[in-house]
Amino acid sequence: MIAQAIGGNLDYAVMLGYFVAVLGFGLYFGRYTRTTKDFFFGGQRFSWWLIAFSCVATVVGSYSFIKYSAAGFRYGISSTQSYLNDWFWMPILVLVWLPIVYYNKITSVPEYLESRFDRKTRIAATVIILFYIVGYIGINLITLGRTLHTLLGWQVMTGAIVTAVAVALYVYIGGQTAVIMTDLVQGIILLVAGMGLFAAAIYHFGGFGDFWALLPRAHKYAFSEFNAPPKFSFIGIYVQDGLANTGALMLMHQGFIMRFLSLKSVKDSRRMVVCWILVLAPLAAIATSCGGWIAKALVKNGELVTEPGDSFVKAAHFLCAPGVFGFVLAALTAALMSTADSLINAVSAIFVNDIWRPYIKPNSDDKHYLRVARITSLAAAALGLALVPIFMKDTIYGAHSMFTAAVTPPVLVAILFGITWKRYTPAAAFVTIVGGAILIGLSFVWPDVLVGPFDFGMGPDSYKFMRALFGLLAAGTLGVSVTWFTKPKAAEKIKGLVAGTQLDAMRRFKGGTPNRRPGEKVRLITRFDPKLAGQNVVIVPQSALDKMAADPGDLLYASHIRWWYGGLRSVHVKAGTPIESKDENIVRISPEDAASAHFTEGQQVVVEKIM
Amino acid sequence: MDMLRVWPIVCEFGIGAILCIVGIWCGLRGGYLNLKNAEDRRLLLILVGGYFFMLGIMCIFTFLSPNWANGGTL
Repeated sequence: MIAQAIGGNLDYAVMLGYFVAVLGFGLYFGRYTRTTKDFFFGGQRFSWWLIAFSCVATVVGSYSFIKYSAAGFRYGISSTQSYLNDWFWMPILVLVWLPIVYYNKITSVPEYLESRFDRKTRIAATVIILFYIVGYIGINLITLGRTLHTLLGWQVMTGAIVTAVAVALYVYIGGQTAVIMTDLVQGIILLVAGMGLFAAAIYHFGGFGDFWALLPRAHKYAFSEFNAPPKFSFIGIYVQDGLANTGALMLMHQGFIMRFLSLKSVKDSRRMVVCWILVLAPLAAIATSCGGWIAKALVKNGELVTEPGDSFVKAAHFLCAPGVFGFVLAALTAALMSTADSLINAVSAIFVNDIWRPYIKPNSDDKHYLRVARITSLAAAALGLALVPIFMKDTIYGAHSMFTAAVTPPVLVAILFGITWKRYTPAAAFVTIVGGAILIGLSFVWPDVLVGPFDFGMGPDSYKFMRALFGLLAAGTLGVSVTWFTKPKAAEKIKGLVAGTQLDAMRRFKGGTPNRRPGEKVRLITRFDPKLAGQNVVIVPQSALDKMAADPGDLLYASHIRWWYGGLRSVHVKAGTPIESKDENIVRISPEDAASAHFTEGQQVVVEKIM
Repeated sequence: MDMLRVWPIVCEFGIGAILCIVGIWCGLRGGYLNLKNAEDRRLLLILVGGYFFMLGIMCIFTFLSPNWANGGTL
């Protein structure tokens, strides 16, 4: 890392201003958090585009700009390959995992594992997932600590502490709503900053062709070579990132599950996923990596001297005017905060829903659990900070890869088999998780014996990546083997929890047969009706029901007419039986449902059928 | 042709195809993905289209892009 601080006072002022603005923005949304459902899942009300930006902001951690720019400097555009594996998981995510989680109202992966298998599997998974998320928090904090060290000359630990306190504070007050709303801002900023930097570089070099010509030929391939170099081979990156890490992000990352559960409907998840994976993720790949490509071209042109680890910051400093550089630094801060906030909220959700509520203090009121959730948010940030000194011994890329490759495979395999294979048994799931974790642990003791056979001739330098392949195969083999010799759970007990039974989960969610007839949205005027209190029902005219292709008893969603609220002011309700009325454009709603949606009397709202 | 550059595409899109087929098959089982429904048909089209879109991008940046601006063949 460079020894001296770079950037001017104006840059630091912009960065500080941004930091304070996001903190205030997050704290403002604390008023939308009244229950644990709001704290963890934002009240299940948000639109697809809001969650898509939020997911990108969560995927792009502060380590991303540093890590991928360093890889881009060393290896070229193949630094984006980690971001381009996600699509292959989409069918499993959209058609299997999301409907199972959403319609069963499952709040965490361990909760799913208990419903699908048994309690001991839940406990084993809880331990591993908590370890995984807290470790992730530590990696994020150390990256920003190192970046602030480079920029401001602060001690790494000081930078980590400052950001941890800020993030923990707004998660403490605002919960998931604060996380989603600040992530929207941060997602936009990090994409604009990264793409803006790329555009500035193209302009500086005189066009894309001139920029491209400055890159070495080996830097112009989408993938690195199949098994070279050992620290950045295609197969190493693919098994660690494309399979283990991406699979874990999609299926076992509590932060993402909470995002999915914040959506207003499963239908919205389809749009969200397409926008996220096909549009925003490739942009994020360019935004995070381009610093390295630009730095490489500048070095070739004799305009810059830099090390890979500093390539992003130095390229940005070279190209940006004072103040604009501060904006780019703000994007780095945004990346950290938007990832760490999700993780802190996720630890809180798992602790409350999988440890505190079932084992320590069951049957307490919601206020108690909300208080515990908030305190846990602070504790999670503190635990992440405690891990910073441990991760300081490795490079960020190395620490991140080693950590995800070692921790994720057993739980990922258990979830994947659990949702796609009815025959998969509770005993097999437990052995997959515990046995897989033990075997991966042993691979640190005897790496040549256990990981060596899977290294594709690359040697020990590749082990931190190839350990993911060993872990996936070991856990998978254990799972399949034990399944053949043990008894599966009765089909009746796993209805709605495994592929082929998603419609059962839908029926359970609605409390009746789902209505999937295509309909339209309608605009109606609210009228408060105290007689509907406690029923979560609205009365809409028959004409509106016909337009929505809805029937009494169907699940409806009423929201503010301004789309850019993204569902912040909205509510899920059931359609009641229409009554004869002269007013053809009135929706009767209970005052409590209206308050939950932040509606006023006489306000125009959009109503649509969910199912 | 440099097979060290081709194997990554074969590997990523081969295993990717298996993952996609498993997901779509799991959606079709039990009727959750109902091809009589226009919305579901559109989703299937997007999933398959996305796969080929990614494949196209990767092929461009493997077989074509290295030759831009400085000539030569793979």
